[in-house]
Amino acid sequence: MEAAVLDAGSKYLKAGLAVPDQDPSIVIPTAMTKAIDEDLGKENGWLSDESQWLHDTVYPIQRGVVKDWDAMEDLWRYVFYTDLGWEVGSEGQVLMADPLLTSKTLKEKTVQIMFETFNVNGFYAVEQAVLSIYAVGRISGCAIDIGHGKIDIAPVWEGAVQHNAVKRLEVSGQDLTFLLGEELEKSNPQTKLDSSTVEMLKETYGITADDQEEYAKKAEGCTTVEHTLPDGQTIKIGKERYTVGEALFQPSFLGVEGYSVAEQLVRSVLLCVPSESQKPLIENIVLCGGTSTMKGLWKSNTIVEHFQLVLLGWKREMNAIGFDTRFQKEASLLGTPSFRPSIIKPPEYMPENTMKNSAWIGGAILAKVVFPQNQHITKAEYDESGPSIVHRKCY
Amino acid sequence: MYGGDEVSAVVVDLGSHSCKAGYAGDDAPKAVFPAVVGSIEQTESSALMKAEGDSDAKAADTKASTKAADAEKTNMGRKLFVGNQALGFRRDYMEVVPAMKDGLIADWDVVEAIWDHALRERLLVDPKEHPMLLAEPSFNTQKQREKTVELMFEKYQIPAVFLAKNAVLTSFASGRATSLVVDCGGGSTTVAAVHDGYVLNKAIVRSPIGGEVLTDCLLNIMETKNVVVSIRPRFSFKRREVRSGEFEIIKQDFPNTTESYCKYMQRVVAADIKEAVCRVPDTTFDENGYANLPTTPYELPDGQTIEVGAERFKIPDLLFSPSLIQTIPGMEKLSAESGSNLRGLPSMVIDSINKCDVDIRRELFSSILLAGGTAAMQQMKERLEKELMEEAPQAARVKVLASGNAIERRFSVWIGGSILASLGSFQQMWFSKAEYEEHGSAYVQRKCP
Repeated sequence: MEAAVLDAGSKYLKAGLAVPDQDPSIVIPTAMTKAIDEDLGKENGWLSDESQWLHDTVYPIQRGVVKDWDAMEDLWRYVFYTDLGWEVGSEGQVLMADPLLTSKTLKEKTVQIMFETFNVNGFYAVEQAVLSIYAVGRISGCAIDIGHGKIDIAPVWEGAVQHNAVKRLEVSGQDLTFLLGEELEKSNPQTKLDSSTVEMLKETYGITADDQEEYAKKAEGCTTVEHTLPDGQTIKIGKERYTVGEALFQPSFLGVEGYSVAEQLVRSVLLCVPSESQKPLIENIVLCGGTSTMKGLWKSNTIVEHFQLVLLGWKREMNAIGFDTRFQKEASLLGTPSFRPSIIKPPEYMPENTMKNSAWIGGAILAKVVFPQNQHITKAEYDESGPSIVHRKCY
Repeated sequence: MYGGDEVSAVVVDLGSHSCKAGYAGDDAPKAVFPAVVGSIEQTESSALMKAEGDSDAKAADTKASTKAADAEKTNMGRKLFVGNQALGFRRDYMEVVPAMKDGLIADWDVVEAIWDHALRERLLVDPKEHPMLLAEPSFNTQKQREKTVELMFEKYQIPAVFLAKNAVLTSFASGRATSLVVDCGGGSTTVAAVHDGYVLNKAIVRSPIGGEVLTDCLLNIMETKNVVVSIRPRFSFKRREVRSGEFEIIKQDFPNTTESYCKYMQRVVAADIKEAVCRVPDTTFDENGYANLPTTPYELPDGQTIEVGAERFKIPDLLFSPSLIQTIPGMEKLSAESGSNLRGLPSMVIDSINKCDVDIRRELFSSILLAGGTAAMQQMKERLEKELMEEAPQAARVKVLASGNAIERRFSVWIGGSILASLGSFQQMWFSKAEYEEHGSAYVQRKCP
């Protein structure tokens, strides 16, 4: 039986059986609604449907870290038994994608729950950054994961994360949503917007400008779009959609003191030792995560690098530049003639949304290698050594 | 007595140049970051002006006089920025404050901030659950040790602590109980003899020439030699694409950046040049001999290329012939301070061995260990061996050992700590919280010899 690969993020949980070159079969929001069972006085959790983001929704993962263990357990239970269709008593093997900077105690806790509560057959944990690199067919590179809860920058050299050069930025998709909400409130004071609506607006309308000067021009004056909300209200979105795209390149919009993500990446690579490895690392940048798939500006006279076709009500011209192109541009400004940052594109045989689900896809690839070769933690080993075996076997 | 179960210890080595922290049992520290912090004064604007004026003096002062200056200001507070990310971002009025001076702790607030950053932000550990192994200089004072232990137990509430001397840890990292450790670090160079796991205090020899001095020398030489090309810190320029594929450099002016920060960022670039290009010469540096050597190009962060010539060999040779320092422009202050005290590495080694008992001298000669970032320079081992063979007594067999891997040499103190803290037989040697509460911090002298 194939191993199950799990990648739990702050917004979406990606899971599925390890079939490489395919998208994860299960992509569900990492959110639970609590139901109080009056009879027993206990709380059960179940999964809420994407369209009903209720107010008392619990998000077990905040900024990449599991905060609510009960809810997380319930979520895992749902994924294993309901979605993946495992049967109690014959659980399979699990490969988990961990975010960077997971402390030892957290790893041990995860392993403990897996083996003791769910009775899995085998377990292996890998960092998301390494998996993203595997997904594009390399073993060395610099992975920058721009997710919902956090941004992780990790240089990976031959499958090993360079811990010293790792950067964690606490700004991410979540903060962009918040920023958009604030800006829209300023320009549409009568309309009341809740976070899920703003989230949807961000994904639909968020756009990255070509470069800083382009952004400045758009900020002065640009077309306003009218959007009709499900409850009938209309709101106008003008330059706010460009602000969202620009915020990661100018973090002062988000109120954070720091350099743009491109510069953070370059600086992080410079911290790597040995210095000979810096050049190959900077030339193999892997941009992944949901927020990095932000669309770009449509312009008919620019060279196409990467485009995403979205059909919406308003007029569009031919080609587009996306977030990754802007990133590439900013990064090349920081290079020197012999130090050229460049982003890797995923190979053609990979599915469409590789960059969004790269950690999961990399996990599927790795699962095919790790489990057959018995490099994972088996139940017997866990019974013998306890949770601390995770530090010895998976690193 | 602290038994120590499966919970792994945390090893922290705070040096003059960088702080290394990680879990015991690992083969390299997880967190390595500079042992300096950025500090912004949090006073009203009038006091801010005053702060800018005497902040340079402040940064060099010891704890005692800093306190006196503090007392003058009302509502005195500093915001400290620790770690590569926070320090790397240019902020107005941010001064660079070092934690150590002359190898000993100078500013306890800074040290606390560094420990906080290492434990809570890089390693993400709860100090209450992990015993700490701290590396300390071989010549640490009793007062500093007591203060360290007190801080660890009172503020961080750790279950157990152990203070181990740098030289002993390096010795363990190479698997020996007796050796002569030559630690060429960032702030200074220390030669110490270790016998059966204990440092022989009377045989410690120190020199203020360390990696940072070498970097400063290189910076000064580069500045005087190259008038056209100057080493620009990363924040002072920006690139813009003029045409496709062509870039131009735009200078960016930040008038409120402090002098110390500018200098610090320049040093970062110079240190990289030093690590990439410098090599220890095979024989004593001779100005004329190296004048005709082909130069090596080095690309600066802004794209300009500089040619490094004889400096490649002159700078590392400072360790062996410190009198060269007088020929370097801008370094007169240092040579005036220490004057004739500056000795080369070989003579320091001989000196240290001569201060030991006659019986162990032979063993020390045959196990000389090289450690520290500066010792990772190429050809260092060969040159030291050659010089020692000339100066050592005839009967002695001189052997200099150094790990082949540059990374291992840099972190040898930390690695020794990692080995020590994971030994089974070490677990009974911890200085536990119960013992601290019973006997007080002075007990550290007994428990951690």
